[in-house]
Amino acid sequence: MTSKQIRRVEGIFWVGIGILICILGWRADLGSFREPGAGFVALFSGLFVAVIGMILAISEIFTKADQSATFDLSSAFKGISWSRLIYTMVLLFLYALLLDILGYIITTFFVMWALFYDWETKRWFPSFFTSLVTTGASYLVFEVWLHSQFPRGIFPWW
Amino acid sequence: MNVFHDLLYGFGVAFQPWNLLSCFFGVFIGTLIGVLPGIGPVGTMSLLLPVTFGISPVTGIIMLAGIFYGAMYGGSTTSILVNIPREAASVVTCLDGYQMALQGRAGPALGIAAFGSFIAGTLSVVGLMVLANPLAALGVKFGPAEYFSLMCLGLSVLIYLTQGSILRGLIMAGIGLFFSLMGQDIITGKTRFTFGLTGLIDGVGLVPLVMGFFGISEILFNLEMLTERTVVKAKVKGLLPNKEDWRRSAKPIARGTLLGFFLGILPGAGGITSTFVSYALEKKFSKHPEQFGKGAIEGVAGPESANNAATGASLIPLFSLGIPSNVVAALLLGALMIHGIRPGPLLLTEHPEVFWGTVASMYVGNVMLLVLNLPLIGMWVKVLQIPYKILFPLILLFCFIGAYSAGNNVFDLYVMLFCGILGYLLRKFNYEPAPLVLAYVLGPMLEQNLRQGLILSDGSFWIFVSRPISAACLIITFVLLVSAVLPSLQKKRRVIAVEE
Repeated sequence: MTSKQIRRVEGIFWVGIGILICILGWRADLGSFREPGAGFVALFSGLFVAVIGMILAISEIFTKADQSATFDLSSAFKGISWSRLIYTMVLLFLYALLLDILGYIITTFFVMWALFYDWETKRWFPSFFTSLVTTGASYLVFEVWLHSQFPRGIFPWW
Repeated sequence: MNVFHDLLYGFGVAFQPWNLLSCFFGVFIGTLIGVLPGIGPVGTMSLLLPVTFGISPVTGIIMLAGIFYGAMYGGSTTSILVNIPREAASVVTCLDGYQMALQGRAGPALGIAAFGSFIAGTLSVVGLMVLANPLAALGVKFGPAEYFSLMCLGLSVLIYLTQGSILRGLIMAGIGLFFSLMGQDIITGKTRFTFGLTGLIDGVGLVPLVMGFFGISEILFNLEMLTERTVVKAKVKGLLPNKEDWRRSAKPIARGTLLGFFLGILPGAGGITSTFVSYALEKKFSKHPEQFGKGAIEGVAGPESANNAATGASLIPLFSLGIPSNVVAALLLGALMIHGIRPGPLLLTEHPEVFWGTVASMYVGNVMLLVLNLPLIGMWVKVLQIPYKILFPLILLFCFIGAYSAGNNVFDLYVMLFCGILGYLLRKFNYEPAPLVLAYVLGPMLEQNLRQGLILSDGSFWIFVSRPISAACLIITFVLLVSAVLPSLQKKRRVIAVEE
């Protein structure tokens, strides 16, 4: 894809998002100029995004850009360790999902253990120990000293 | 005389044991996170924001401000020793700082960065002290029209000065504005744009949003390719710059301070721009411009001073007008508002302890930083050597704790993760998160003032152009926006960026 094509797609995408925001603003009650309603500013922000998106899409027409210049979309994601990235993201979502159910201590311990785990050496004890210390220390600092209120989950006495 | 009296009062507040301790804690944590990758001052301040709920407002603000300027100090250490800037404002320091380190002059580079930062930081506090009062007096005369126009100007300046495409910056601002509208309408109380999610009734939280866009996305970005950092192995010694170093650095420090201070006052401009301009200026003034990029001490002294001067100056619009000029100032605004304090023209009269206490603590904090940075440099170097695979789970945990503690709500964790992934994808396509976050912060104020202005003028937009200050701000905003979409000017801007 050439840079020009990328910008056009990008611009059209934002025009779509802008129109969507305008519709949401319109549905939330626009009011009038004398008494602007809850959707008044949203309409303007949507229009703004749509107009800028349109300019983005057509801007290359007015510039003497190198027509042969290409943008390889895959290069932006080249060399990425996908397994590591997806593994971390899954753990993050699991943390949010389980926090209320299992409570802070258990969830933090297991998720930290998985995050600290070194897939190269495959030794479980260092990550287990680091996770134990991290969970204990964070609980002590934030819950005990700073009085943050973490979810207790299945063990309400913690 | 009045200012002197007020400053003495401020020192009385700053020297109270708890405030002194929180100042030390702030600058220490600030330096630490300035050295560490990933979390940054914005993330750390978000993390510690809930901690301030249980302490007095002045103690909390002193700590948060300490993190802000402490991180600026810490950022120079990584730029010089590892050639990796933790903050955008430290990018320029890499150019000559790392070269000096490779030549065995890491000590003087770190030393001049610390001294330059100290001098500039202290002088900017003097400026803050002198200018805040007159600006606040002017601010009293501001109505909805002026506030609305000034916020438009602030946003435009930030976008204009972003490193990437202006058009992309403008789009980010529009999206940030929409994010700020989610939840209850500030005037009618009607719920809007919640998409049926009860967690959005109170709107998108500042802390999860900031943690997501700056903390999680940064971690995901770094996780893509885990590369080991090369820390300068030689022992860092001789931190005190010699006579020749001082002779070469004195003028760059002075110029950097002035430049940083005046650019820092501008809403949106801040530290990043001032470092680039300072570097370009020093190169132009130098008798040996060919040495720049090869270890010229002026290339470290000027930008580091400019960066720290801008830090203090960026608090001026916040304290005197109630307008945050960057994301960090926005977090300070959030912290003050949580405590029921509205920054703005009346802050100096209604809560003098907050303003003068913070100003005085910044003097104290700058001294603390000098003491922390020079003798403890060895410790910071050791911190730099902690492997990232150990650091990133800890940073993630801090992000989770910060996002959860702000509202004791798991929904905020999902918001943070959503913003993190969105931020990661946007960064992949060269969209910067800063305009989005600033627009999100300014959004409610912008909406309120626009709607109030229209109600006051019976629906006429004339109110925004008939008042001189408002008109001036809008004209500048218009010029900036038009220049943003003119291809020839865009091209010129790109050339300047490349030259810098």
